Amino acid sequence: MIDSIINLTLLLAVPLVLAALGGAIHRRAGVVNIGLEGQMLVGAFVGILASAGTGSWFVGVLAGGAAGAVAGLIMSLVITRLSANEIIVGLGFNIVVLGIVGFVLRTLFGVSGTLRFPDQPRIPRIDIPGIQDIPVLGAILSGKDVLFWACIVLIPVLVWLFANTRWGIRTRATGVAEPAAASLGIRTLGLRDTAGTLAGLLAGLGGVALALGVSGLFNENMIAGRGYVALAAFYFGRSKPLPTALACLLFSFFDSLQIRLQTSGGISADLIQTLPYIAVVAVLAWTGFTGLRKRSRMAV
Amino acid sequence: MTQQPTTETGANTSYVPVPVKRRGISWARIGRTAWFVAVPVVIALIIGAIALLIGGQQPLEIYGMLVQEAFGDGARINATLTAATPLIFTGLAAAIAFRGGVFNVGVEGSFAFAGLAAAVVGARVGGMPPVLAITACCVAGILAGMLVALVPALLRTWLKVDEVVSTLMFNFIVTGVIAWLVQSFFLAPGQANSSTEYVAESAELPPLMPPGQLSAGFLIAIVLVAFYAVWVKRSQLGFEFDAVGGAPRFSSAQGLRVRTVLMTAMLASGAIGGLGGAVHALGVVHRFSVGFSANFGFTGIAIALLARFNPVGVVVGAIAFGALAAAGATVQLFINIPIQLIDILQGTVMMLAVAKFAIPRLRRRLKQSVNGTEPIA
Repeated sequence: MIDSIINLTLLLAVPLVLAALGGAIHRRAGVVNIGLEGQMLVGAFVGILASAGTGSWFVGVLAGGAAGAVAGLIMSLVITRLSANEIIVGLGFNIVVLGIVGFVLRTLFGVSGTLRFPDQPRIPRIDIPGIQDIPVLGAILSGKDVLFWACIVLIPVLVWLFANTRWGIRTRATGVAEPAAASLGIRTLGLRDTAGTLAGLLAGLGGVALALGVSGLFNENMIAGRGYVALAAFYFGRSKPLPTALACLLFSFFDSLQIRLQTSGGISADLIQTLPYIAVVAVLAWTGFTGLRKRSRMAV
Repeated sequence: MTQQPTTETGANTSYVPVPVKRRGISWARIGRTAWFVAVPVVIALIIGAIALLIGGQQPLEIYGMLVQEAFGDGARINATLTAATPLIFTGLAAAIAFRGGVFNVGVEGSFAFAGLAAAVVGARVGGMPPVLAITACCVAGILAGMLVALVPALLRTWLKVDEVVSTLMFNFIVTGVIAWLVQSFFLAPGQANSSTEYVAESAELPPLMPPGQLSAGFLIAIVLVAFYAVWVKRSQLGFEFDAVGGAPRFSSAQGLRVRTVLMTAMLASGAIGGLGGAVHALGVVHRFSVGFSANFGFTGIAIALLARFNPVGVVVGAIAFGALAAAGATVQLFINIPIQLIDILQGTVMMLAVAKFAIPRLRRRLKQSVNGTEPIA
């Protein structure tokens, strides 16, 4: 029971962590990315098509990530170059993507909703020989796929990039004070586009993880609000890589708990699903409250 | 700015900006508006046309057919206006919030929660006379809509919490709470999909032209729009809305009631969205079921942005999107074009409605160089 919950939590966390880290990068550059949902959907769709077409899961991962990156770049260009409100663009973007994917599914593939190929390649899971039989440790470390390990590597790499590289520092500067950064000659719009593209890339990989790692098929509603949970996660983790990833872990733990406990009743699954969003509102309220105290102390 | 500043500085310097009244029709302004509306719509139509071409259809033929299906005869206009009614409410709800400078994206949640409230009340007012029953349901809807907007409004007004994210989150919270309420308390017995009982006959909004579905809710919407139009131009609070929406810090320095405006904007937005949900429940669906709101709240945002919060623009936009939805649903029946075409058009319009296209800026630069004054780079 514990092993299966741990396993499921980590499995469901991978798409969330990837998308949320992408959102965190974009947030650090000063843009709230509402379009993660759509970018995940693009990644999942292209990932399934490419992997089924070529018979290789690796091509699927690459194609899904690339498609997500292109989608992220397009959305970012509308935000930066046409100076449009990021929230509205993100909401519109999600609607467009859902429309395009649904349209293509129905006209080109003649299916409504679910797309399943007979010999769909999946991302292979890596069993670690010595560890996989140890009760809890085995569930944590063994039987995970490449994208899981990519997440593990990505977190410290991102921390390092933000702290020590020219790109990371300039991106953070853009996010904190865009006019000040621009006045120092930093190409803030370009940095935001880079961050948006990276966000799309990671969200696309998150979609691939969902399609090729978790379910093995494509459904137009398969993201089911995970992009918004990812948004909740990077708000909860204040856009820092490790806390963001831990928030994802928390949310996916709720999710797997709800899947495993579905039969035993108790608290409604519908209410459990609202927990990530309630957590975000609580965090926002707390941030606002401490900010208020800080401001009034300065005033005194 | 932890408290609303008082402007008693001793000197009588308080200056309230008064709009300069120009006589006659401002053609430049109309031209700008037309450009502002036309660009997103044309780009959306082009993207839709590309999608249709990929699907092997003739775009112009399909667009012509959509127009024909939307406005062809009385019954079709009736269907179009029926589809437009909830959009007028949500568009107005978004517009009133945006005017006061708050981006309320939680109209969707207000709409759905109010629909549930109205449906639940409506099923229990069988004994009352119609006027009373409908009023009770609408009040329930308005209260439910305001309830959804209340927490983000309080957080925005007192703790300066970004209302966009909190209202967006509240949409999901409300969705979960609604599903839980319906499943645990209000489920109609013997229904395959989860929905509440039908409302009592006395609580149904009477249809305007009986065979069609258009209900008295459309009239409520029009009255509300007229009220909004007068209120925005003629009331003190309406003026303060514009000022706070345009320049919040300046307004608070001038002693305008910024907090009152923010709070009113959020709550009024929730209330109008809620009334829309109640009208939709009483006039069209007659109960609450899964998928009650077909993204009406988000379409309303697109409409409000395209209309630039102008009341007439909101009605025109709502009818346009309503036509798209109504005609799309019928065209889908006899030609193989997926209804998702509507999503593509709507989402593109929404993305681009907030975009600033550079050509006006170019033109200004040209004009300046003609006048011989170089723009200061």
